[in-house]
Amino acid sequence: MLVKDVMTRHPIMVPPEMSAAEAEHIMTENLIRHLPVVGDGKKLVGLVTRQRFALKPDTMASLNVWEITRYLSNLTVQKIMLSAKAGEVYSIDSNRTVEQAARVMTEHKIGCLPVLDDDVVVGILSEIDLLRSLQEMLGLPTRGVRVTMRMPNKKGQFAALTTALSQHNLGIMGIGSFPTPRQPGFYDMVLKIPEVSMEQVREILSQVPEQEIVDIHEE
Amino acid sequence: MTRTNGKVPGGPVLSVEDLAVAYKIRGGEIEAVQDVTFDIQRGEAHGIVGESGCGKSTVTWAILNFLGANGYVKRGSIKFLGQELVGRSGEELRRLRGDQIAMVYQDPMQALNPSMRLGDQMKEVLTVHRGLSDKEAEKRCISMLERVYMPDAANVMHRFPHQISGGQQQRVVIAMALLNNPALLIMDEPTTALDVTVEAAVLDLIAELRRDFDTGILFISHNLGVVARVCNKVGVMYAGEMVEVALTEDIYKDPQHPYTQGLIRCVPKLGSDKASSTLYPIRGRVPPPNNRPPGCVYGPRCDYVRDHCREARPELRTLPNSVQVRCHYAEEIDPSQWQPSEDILPPKIRQNGDQEEYIIQVKDLKKYYEVQGSSLKDVIGMGEPRYVKAVENASFNVPKGKTLGIVGESGCGKSTLIKTIIGLEDSTSGEAQFLGLDITGDLTTRTEQLIQELQMVFQNPDSTMNPSYTVGQQIARPMLRFGTVPKNQVREEVVKLLNLMRLGANYFDRLPRQLSGGEKQRVGIARALASRPDLVLCDEPVSALDVSVQAAVLNLLLEVQAEYGTTMIFIAHDLSVVRFFSDYVAVMYLGQIMEIGPADAIYALPYHPYTEALLSAVPIPDPSAKQKRIRLEGSVPSAISPPSGCRFNTRCPRRHLLPDGGKICETETPPWQEDERGHRIFCHIPRETLLTFEPVIQTKERAV
Repeated sequence: MLVKDVMTRHPIMVPPEMSAAEAEHIMTENLIRHLPVVGDGKKLVGLVTRQRFALKPDTMASLNVWEITRYLSNLTVQKIMLSAKAGEVYSIDSNRTVEQAARVMTEHKIGCLPVLDDDVVVGILSEIDLLRSLQEMLGLPTRGVRVTMRMPNKKGQFAALTTALSQHNLGIMGIGSFPTPRQPGFYDMVLKIPEVSMEQVREILSQVPEQEIVDIHEE
Repeated sequence: MTRTNGKVPGGPVLSVEDLAVAYKIRGGEIEAVQDVTFDIQRGEAHGIVGESGCGKSTVTWAILNFLGANGYVKRGSIKFLGQELVGRSGEELRRLRGDQIAMVYQDPMQALNPSMRLGDQMKEVLTVHRGLSDKEAEKRCISMLERVYMPDAANVMHRFPHQISGGQQQRVVIAMALLNNPALLIMDEPTTALDVTVEAAVLDLIAELRRDFDTGILFISHNLGVVARVCNKVGVMYAGEMVEVALTEDIYKDPQHPYTQGLIRCVPKLGSDKASSTLYPIRGRVPPPNNRPPGCVYGPRCDYVRDHCREARPELRTLPNSVQVRCHYAEEIDPSQWQPSEDILPPKIRQNGDQEEYIIQVKDLKKYYEVQGSSLKDVIGMGEPRYVKAVENASFNVPKGKTLGIVGESGCGKSTLIKTIIGLEDSTSGEAQFLGLDITGDLTTRTEQLIQELQMVFQNPDSTMNPSYTVGQQIARPMLRFGTVPKNQVREEVVKLLNLMRLGANYFDRLPRQLSGGEKQRVGIARALASRPDLVLCDEPVSALDVSVQAAVLNLLLEVQAEYGTTMIFIAHDLSVVRFFSDYVAVMYLGQIMEIGPADAIYALPYHPYTEALLSAVPIPDPSAKQKRIRLEGSVPSAISPPSGCRFNTRCPRRHLLPDGGKICETETPPWQEDERGHRIFCHIPRETLLTFEPVIQTKERAV
């Protein structure tokens, strides 16, 4: 799963000369929280987020009503955006992996990454896109049994699990694994198995040696 | 990855709301498009269908601001990626749309600059919009050409547009449109000018690109089958209004609006013939924009019209099954209970028995054209003469009162064959007899009486009628010329023909420019019939017409045939139409008849491999039908040096069935394999093997 498979293609983009008021309107109307700013040929110039519209109270305090109006009407996207030139925008290449993108986002605590191919914006990757890919990875839209197996960190454990399932002619439609919290040397694996009952899965998987069922759900 | 539901984040790519487009004319203005509403999500293909003059193209022009000096958006809004396009200045629009909207039009030759190499034209897109270096641009262009499956992409970059085929030209146009990764692609009849096999390949390509690039596509077509193949949502337009918007499966399975139902009834289903099924044209025609009826615009043509429809204009409303429809009574209308009204009731087809008397007998007919070489030897007349073998060994017989349909890709020699028969060209060798008379020579060798018996209906009625002669004069001319009717009765006879064409005596003094396309074609048919011919040759008589007019003209031809017992040779590229209309069908490839026989035998097993490929390319207006996917590689070889052995061997997808990978196909001319019904197949593969193929098309009702 690469960034280009998960990102939203053809994002709404604005030029730097656009007034900030109009950009705000576009974001509100289309229910979006990030707006890439592009120059000629869709080259990334900057990024506008919701927070960028929060004007500093001390700037406003010294102005009267008329001056505020003038100030706002002269305020362009260029003035409020995070500038790419100044290195304020984190972006990612469309051929990187999703987890690398997630890492950039968690490291810098940011909500979105413009996706670039040679400086040209081809898409945008937001938290929402990552959350959607998490759902799809674990096979959410389809009904089935979701089971969490705990297994020691040894070779052959996953093979034992899939063999048990394949012997009963069952398939896996979603899968994920992570180190068991506070129990080093163990891994938890989440599987989504379609077209089967919970009891059947419990019966089959409890036979797998060295592994235990931590949690089982039907959804 | 599948989308979990219809709601796509970021909003629609294009959202059109209550759009009305008006053109200013002398003394006021006319609203060509009214209250059109639809939106296109990322990666969605939205089709718009309707007869000509319904405002389909006007909608796209409004999006692109191509309305011309007198057109403007009167009401409503067009939002592209959340930003309003209406009311912006040209410069703002240019920046807003920039390189984000791309267009593909019907005729690829007009979209390409004939005097520039393809590579230079394509590179321009990248060097101008993106400021890429020439080398980088070239690299990207080549990879994009490979993406659209252009054979020998690097070489194509150095060619001029005329050096590649029509299908390849359209691929270049599509590749060019995609170079900037647009968010919206507008396609206005992109495959109408292409052959059915090429069309199928281009449609496959469009569907694939839509998935890969997540581009929203606005797809305009008059062909319901094409729309069924590419689009997931369809809007039906009638007289400038959107009358129904629904998912593709719903619209073909369960059309709600009477107009949509009418359109679907107009199209012959592949596999149906004139004896077992009938086409029902929609009566009347689309009202001109300055003379639309009050109330429901479709009212005058609707079979379910009530008083309320004439008074109140229906709104586009959403039914419980989320289909949007503009009809007061959509829930009450049940199309299965529909009965044709009398004025559109098609003629009863007389089966005039199996007459063994052949009206035309053709044996081993050949037509070669000599080509002038360009070398010095050729110029001084010393070179070896070379020939375009346009028709090779054509043999067929047509019984009296029957119809022979001829199908094949463009350049296969269909038109040359009938031109040779009618005498516009003389034949190179072979025999051809019409009622026992020899017709191998051209017109100068024929008697007037023979000329009178053979008449022709042409594809384009516009270019075959003298614009300054009235309808009456045009039809009367052959009568006077051949003296079939005494001079004082000519007018009477013309009126009789006009009535037969359902035109009426008041058309006598009209000029061609005062007629619609369908009416012109009827006049063309009347003119061909004026000399009371025994054989009428029809060269694509309905392909330039709208579906409802096409149904009416086909019915008319059937009626004429029943009335006068006329024999017809019918050329068309639409296989469903040929199947419907013909008793016998011949499939041609590169000047050679590949398969010939009774129509039902051609469309059922066993097929010639070429017929199989043709059938698998036909767009079917039924999204639930299963169709085998056979795409021919490469383009038709040159007729100057056709492949040896079987002419189809270079592209045949089935030759591997024969030993040695079909070596025999290259070395030996295939035999004619004939069955007891006269169904002949020109192929090395034994009939028994051909019989084991799966049927190409499987619908719920029957396999074709």
